[in-house]
Amino acid sequence: MKWLSYQYRALAVAARRLFAQPLVTLLTALALGVAISLPAGLYLVLDNVERLAGSLPTQPEISVYLAPDAEAAQRNALAAALRKHPRIAAARFVPRDEALKTLAESYGLADVIDSLDKNPLPDAWIVIPRVADGAALTALKAELQKLPGVAEVQTDSAWAERLAAALALGKTVVMLLATLFGIALVAISGNAIRALILTKRDEIEVSRLIGATDRYIRRPFLFLGALQGFFGGLMAVGVLAVAGMLLRPAVGRLAALYGSQYQLRPPSLIEIGIVLAATTLLGVLGAWLAVAHTLRQVEPPR
Amino acid sequence: MISFSQVSKRYPGGHEALVNASFTIERGELVFLTGHSGAGKSTLLKLIAAIERPTSGVVSVNGQNVGRLPRRAVPYLRRNIGLVFQDHKLLFDRNVIENVLLPLDIAGSDRRESFRRARAVLDKVGLLNREKSHPLSLSGGEQQRLCIARALVGRPALLLADEPTGNLDAGYAADIMAMFRDFHRVGTTLVISTHDDRAIAALGGRVLHLDHGHIVSGAAS
Repeated sequence: MKWLSYQYRALAVAARRLFAQPLVTLLTALALGVAISLPAGLYLVLDNVERLAGSLPTQPEISVYLAPDAEAAQRNALAAALRKHPRIAAARFVPRDEALKTLAESYGLADVIDSLDKNPLPDAWIVIPRVADGAALTALKAELQKLPGVAEVQTDSAWAERLAAALALGKTVVMLLATLFGIALVAISGNAIRALILTKRDEIEVSRLIGATDRYIRRPFLFLGALQGFFGGLMAVGVLAVAGMLLRPAVGRLAALYGSQYQLRPPSLIEIGIVLAATTLLGVLGAWLAVAHTLRQVEPPR
Repeated sequence: MISFSQVSKRYPGGHEALVNASFTIERGELVFLTGHSGAGKSTLLKLIAAIERPTSGVVSVNGQNVGRLPRRAVPYLRRNIGLVFQDHKLLFDRNVIENVLLPLDIAGSDRRESFRRARAVLDKVGLLNREKSHPLSLSGGEQQRLCIARALVGRPALLLADEPTGNLDAGYAADIMAMFRDFHRVGTTLVISTHDDRAIAALGGRVLHLDHGHIVSGAAS
């Protein structure tokens, strides 16, 4: 009970100190908000790109070529296996004659093909997998390769792999930026708190003389750091909301030109919560460092 | 209540503020510290409140060796000591009653009870009608009374006052000293450093006289 009332009063003191200098508070929150909105914004952009990629109709295809000497039983078993496979969305059989005809028609190679004395193409299955990322495709390919009667498997997964690699790179950049701007946040918050502690020198000295513990003196400043971080987080969310509002019509128009209903996805409540929690914690960390360092300077000489 | 045993305090740079001081002060006693400025009066008071630590010797308050007190225990010692400063050390970013509430807030007292006690003590020093005023709007004597109210609100058994009337004219000084006499009558132990001979004569009590860090008289009660 007593503990709770200490916390509550420290929070009240912290809030009063923040609102006593609204301009400083606002500017600090703005600095924190802009810093945090950069990695958070990049994360949202990547997430949107990833979602857009997932919704694209161009799925990777796998071509399964049959061995010329495959027996009828093997062919039937393969057909059944492909149709029932949980990670295959659709499978279409392409007989070798049809493949040759398509080749002749669509690529204008009729003369060349006429001159062949026998069809060099094997029978094949065109498989559309349910999975899209590179690792899963490679695994599926290896699995299909092992089926009896299969001569060769080719995937058209280069595109998917490149996209996955680019997104992975982007995520690394997000982590890197988040770390850097997290450090910046700690520094900004710590510096603001340090300046405030120095203006409260008298109060700290008097409080010590009349029996204040270090914890009592530290507590309001830690709450201050927390509040400042929280406001910074709110500001970041605000910056992203404004950016989203500005981008939304343009994205909608572009999507409409491609006949798509695609819309920008706003951050979820959980993501907003994570940003606020992270900025609050980093604010506390900055305050802690500032307090630990500065209180020693304010210490009366022994 | 307080005992000094061969206590010396040497400041960095070699200045010896207190040399081989030995004396005891009983519970409920009223003791004046006298001597020229720089004689070691402030140092002696600071040693009692653990604001300074002795270079050698033992300072004991309520049976606790104050000089050896771990850092984290010092605040709890100070909560039992009322401190009155010559320069008041008031906080000018809050009003009169908030200054008095500070020690109770630090001790984590119940808020409503704190207000009740703060008003009672402001009444005692005659500042109840100024509770919402700003400390800067108070006269020097009123500021000193406010400082005393803050020192007393925690009901300390021991009150240390460092030249409490040093900056005040005679009328205010007599007021303050009369107040100290009342506290002495209700059993508070008081140690007051002063130049004010009239006050000493009026209040009685033991006089501990210091000269260049040496106790020259009053060590034995």
